[in-house]
Amino acid sequence: MNGNIYHNRKAQWAIYLAAFAALALLPIFFDSPFTLNLLARYCVFALLAVSVSLVWGYAGILSLGQAIAFGLAAYGMAMTMQMQYQDPVSDPIPSFMLTNELETLPLVWAPFWSTPIGLILTFGVPTVFFIVFGILMFQARVAGVFVAIMTLAMTAAWYSMAYDMQPFTAGFNGISPPLPFQIFGTEVDPYSAGAYWVCVAFLAVLTLGAKFLMQTKFGLIVQAIRDDAERARFLGYNVAYYQVVVFALSGFLAASAGFCWVLIVQYVSPTSLEIVFSISIVIWAAVGGRTSLLGAIIGAFLVNGMQSFVGDELQQVWMLILGAIFIGVVLFLPRGLAGFFELVLGLFSGRREPQKSDWNTGRTSAVTKESAE
Amino acid sequence: MSVNDFWTPFALLPFLNALIIGISLISIWLIAALGLTIIYGTMGVINMAHGEFIMLGAYSTYVLQTLIGIPFLLCLPLSFLILAAIGWVIERGVIRTLYRRPLDTLLATWGLSLILVQGVRLIFGGEPQYVGVPSWLNFQIQADFIHLSGLRLFIIVMAIVMVAVTWFLLYRTTLGICVRAVMQDKEMAASFGIDANRIYSLTFCYGAGLAGVAGSMFGALKTLFPDMGGGYIVEAFLVVVVGGVQLAGSVLSASLLGELNSIFSYFTNDTFARFVLFTLVVVFLRIRPQGLLAEKMTRR
Repeated sequence: MNGNIYHNRKAQWAIYLAAFAALALLPIFFDSPFTLNLLARYCVFALLAVSVSLVWGYAGILSLGQAIAFGLAAYGMAMTMQMQYQDPVSDPIPSFMLTNELETLPLVWAPFWSTPIGLILTFGVPTVFFIVFGILMFQARVAGVFVAIMTLAMTAAWYSMAYDMQPFTAGFNGISPPLPFQIFGTEVDPYSAGAYWVCVAFLAVLTLGAKFLMQTKFGLIVQAIRDDAERARFLGYNVAYYQVVVFALSGFLAASAGFCWVLIVQYVSPTSLEIVFSISIVIWAAVGGRTSLLGAIIGAFLVNGMQSFVGDELQQVWMLILGAIFIGVVLFLPRGLAGFFELVLGLFSGRREPQKSDWNTGRTSAVTKESAE
Repeated sequence: MSVNDFWTPFALLPFLNALIIGISLISIWLIAALGLTIIYGTMGVINMAHGEFIMLGAYSTYVLQTLIGIPFLLCLPLSFLILAAIGWVIERGVIRTLYRRPLDTLLATWGLSLILVQGVRLIFGGEPQYVGVPSWLNFQIQADFIHLSGLRLFIIVMAIVMVAVTWFLLYRTTLGICVRAVMQDKEMAASFGIDANRIYSLTFCYGAGLAGVAGSMFGALKTLFPDMGGGYIVEAFLVVVVGGVQLAGSVLSASLLGELNSIFSYFTNDTFARFVLFTLVVVFLRIRPQGLLAEKMTRR
């Protein structure tokens, strides 16, 4: 293998493992609970960016609806935690329902009495929704821009639901469970290293799993479909099947992020289903490099880290900067930082000519196909 | 919450009034979607900043009216020109390099919309602003079941005018023939001596200008916020996509979606209607991804 070391699989795995090991060791250096919680939040955002990278970078499906899975899971988790606090006899329904004149616990809330069922719903509902939604879209060979607009519309629809169903979701105020999550008889303190490690573990396991999957035959077919869906179809592959599976997996990843989010912030509101938030996830992945899972993680850390660093007084200017960064990345660095690294490493390895099969160079034709469908 | 809080039973007169509110809604969605239809239809550019163009139109009307004292009716063509100029700059600066990469135009224009919202917030502040409604529009039509303000009636008339003008430009002028030629096949049109890039520039300017006019009227109808544009973008896109990215299609789909929305809102409430409508659109796009009225058009 004399080629670009960026494409060397052993090197890639080494870098990935090193990155996650470094993430896991961070609590040694930062023991302030506030910093740990902040880092855990970045990990959640990174997991979301990975879910976008998987579905957009590897499968060529631009989903603007990752917030749906995130938000649904976050609501599921918040409901589970809220019901852990409620007592079946003395205090059977959450207080915000009382202020909304509900006298009995709504049916959708009842399963959350049981923590295991609550957790199953937390992960299951978003994933099943993405499977159904994916089947709906990809069976009809919807592609490209239309997927983006349909996922966008769906996000807007769910947002207005969460916002409007005040007796069930506490509307704009959101649900804030009074106590941390309890499992196996222990309490997961949101500001502890333990909660941070839970987030890192989710991020590491799911990212490595996604990376492994994308190197198997399944992943190669997915990437072939991204490069030219029509050709893959002619070769006899069931394109819709592969697209639905990847879409559902990305939904599962985003749902895991939603689970971790409520675990560490103990709060959920309709903002987690907002369009602005949903597209921000795409921004993180795009900045870091959508065709690289680790790139997406770096992008999420970088953008959110910068946002925290800029501080409150400059929040106003921050959106200007973010918008400019984003336009700049789209115009000049379409493959993000990871693409830039690939280019630089390529210069050192002596093979200067770009890869012909690269998605980026082949994109013009792929996009023509997309708008054709 | 009992069933009756949620479900309004049918009654003829209020229902008819809901249908009339629907017509007002149709005109608003159609005006918002018109510029998008032109831009997306001709150039294949997904302009996520279209809502922000509308917002800029509203704010330029506010500036013209409040600070310079120009009458409302004159503000409409002026904000058309202002937005067309802004559109020209944006087309030259950002969009031009992204033709044939529709997904990237979507992302770049999203970045643009962040900048526009924040820029306006920095200049005008986050508090609401108002565009004054001229006194000759301050009347109410009130019959048994009809409640319609003069402004809403004006917007309905303007929607018809804007569609008519756009139709005339597209189908009755030489420029329109050029636009439709580029729309169908850019290379072929270019080989007949049509400067496709110039057509693209003009189309984008025109689409942005339409958003400017839309903004003037929406500004009079509602309060001005820097992020008011976000409230139109999803509906406008759905109108365009359901219509099949065509002028007539957009008129048809705006009519359909607007009426359906006000019927659903009549029986339930606004937000639930939105949920049902968006879900229906997604299901509809699954059955007819090409939209209501798309012929087998040449693909870009």
